[in-house]
Amino acid sequence: MKLIFQSFLYCCLLATVAHCVELEVNPELKKRLSMWLGSRLRRDLDSVSLEKTAESEHLIRPEDIRDTLLPHFSTGIIVRTKRSKNSANQSTGQGCSLGTCAVHDLAHRLYQINNKKFGSAPVDKISPHGYGRRRRSLPVQRLTLRLKQGRLRPVWSATDSQVHKLRALLRKT
Amino acid sequence: MAKRKMNVIGWSWIVALMMLFNLTKFFVKASLEVNESQQQHPTNVYHEIGQTRNTIVTAQFECYQKIVKDSTHSRQEPMCNRTWDGWLCWDDAKAGVISEQHCPDYFQDFDPSEIATKICTDSGQWFLHPESNRTWTNYTRCNEHTKEGRVTAMNLFYLALIGHGLSLTSLFISLTIFFHFKSLSCQRITLHKNLFFSFVLNSVVTIVWLTAVANNQELLQRNPTSCKVSQFIHLYLFGCNYFWMLCEGIYLHTLIVVAVFAEKQHMMWYYLLGWGFPLLPASIHAIARSYYYNDNCWISSKTSLLYIIHGPICAALLVNLFFLLNIVRVLITKLKVTHQAESSLYMKAVRATLILVPLLGIQYILLPYKPSGRVYSEIYDYIVNILMHYQGLLVATIFCFFNGEVQAVLRRHWNQYQIQFGNSVGNHSDALRSASYTASSITEVQGCYSIDSQTEHMNGKSNYDADASILKSDGPFA
Repeated sequence: MKLIFQSFLYCCLLATVAHCVELEVNPELKKRLSMWLGSRLRRDLDSVSLEKTAESEHLIRPEDIRDTLLPHFSTGIIVRTKRSKNSANQSTGQGCSLGTCAVHDLAHRLYQINNKKFGSAPVDKISPHGYGRRRRSLPVQRLTLRLKQGRLRPVWSATDSQVHKLRALLRKT
Repeated sequence: MAKRKMNVIGWSWIVALMMLFNLTKFFVKASLEVNESQQQHPTNVYHEIGQTRNTIVTAQFECYQKIVKDSTHSRQEPMCNRTWDGWLCWDDAKAGVISEQHCPDYFQDFDPSEIATKICTDSGQWFLHPESNRTWTNYTRCNEHTKEGRVTAMNLFYLALIGHGLSLTSLFISLTIFFHFKSLSCQRITLHKNLFFSFVLNSVVTIVWLTAVANNQELLQRNPTSCKVSQFIHLYLFGCNYFWMLCEGIYLHTLIVVAVFAEKQHMMWYYLLGWGFPLLPASIHAIARSYYYNDNCWISSKTSLLYIIHGPICAALLVNLFFLLNIVRVLITKLKVTHQAESSLYMKAVRATLILVPLLGIQYILLPYKPSGRVYSEIYDYIVNILMHYQGLLVATIFCFFNGEVQAVLRRHWNQYQIQFGNSVGNHSDALRSASYTASSITEVQGCYSIDSQTEHMNGKSNYDADASILKSDGPFA
């Protein structure tokens, strides 16, 4: 009787600890990583030559990246990013899912309901004529990487001369 | 006389309820206004909301990087190429497979826990919508249940307000009873007072947090330090509440299982644990939050930093579960000695458990994690919210209004009051009053030491009467 009781308790404890660790470590690391990435938006771009004789890693200049964005880049350098997951997906499955967290959850839901910062999704984009199509129009602004103080920094700039190159890429994908 | 007392109590309840409904009416009005002003906003989000747009463009940029990364695959079977559809990045998919992803969180009405789908047809082409003949991703599920979700959230909000309102009234009444009738005071009641007080503070701060902060966009946008401080206080008092439940558990466990010779326990440790310790996780959370997840007013629940608060709470509740099981075990063994009928024995054990569950907060351990399905999580939300916001009411009802000692004291004072005003002839009432004084002094002694005598019986000679009285409503728990 006592043994069963104790083992049951241990099981409860173990399950909770396991769950907490799994939830706590993974999303936490991911969160920090994504926040760090988000704040800096720094890409670690590894250049890997097609001939696998000399595998050396170094940061690429913006010009190099533009080259790789050209449709016939197979002779050049392949751009590889270390970030693999879509950032939109990282926000799911996170947070506290314990019973006692219900009050924070409720507060957060109320906040989201009343939030005017994010609008509601445009209906025409969900309709049959909406998304799913490839995006052929380019944004007014685009992200470019510039070398500042020895680091690659993202800069939002108006698209101009690179438009045709990107468009070519978009057609390709 | 009892009937008249009931009438008075009933009236006071009705008055309290009416006050509450007026309060909620006001909130309903306020939130409706918010909703209306919200709906007036144009649906064209891209031009005015730069942030959503930037998020999408960043996601697009990442997607193209990913597409470019290793597109030189040699494939034998037909596959749908990886693509950017305007909102999400889709990986290569085998022909005849339906790709699934969680919905993006770009928009307020998109639920990130829902799934967006893109069909890869048998020919290795992405699905073309027959109406428009364009490749099309199914995002319709993303905002399908948004309205219901909103209704649920508002329902939970009103449930919480009503629950905390009822809890507050009942807790105030109980605290008044505990403080007014000095004959009741003893260690157990002191613990109850502290627990009730932490319930009151928690309810007040939760109501303030839900109405004045979570529903106040203007404040959330301004993001002043005061709202972070109020979140800190909220979390501290939230912790206090659960640690006072732990204190109750420790006290009962010590009284019934550990202490053979019932002696007065040192209250200092209980105060330290109940009011002092929760400062620690609350402070750690505040520091960690300001470094790693410094969102507006710290309102987001989508961060694992909340486990800093809820980890210790969970541990406390687990310890309480252990105490509860141990107490029930001791109870059953002691009752078995008295050779009672099996059924009545278990009925008593079940009853004692049910009484103790809300006091020790065991319900949160019984419902530990939120299930993943939409319907299940909604049901779970309702149950947990009801249990959480009405716990104060439940505890006050069981441990004050249904408490035999409290009822006896109230009845005596009511009789005294009636006699005093019923016949104003001096001599007679004086005699009665003195009689009731002696009675009260006797119960005072009994009130404080009745548990100890019962524990003695439990641990030593097993007295049938004493053991039977344990499980009456005014046993050692109540």
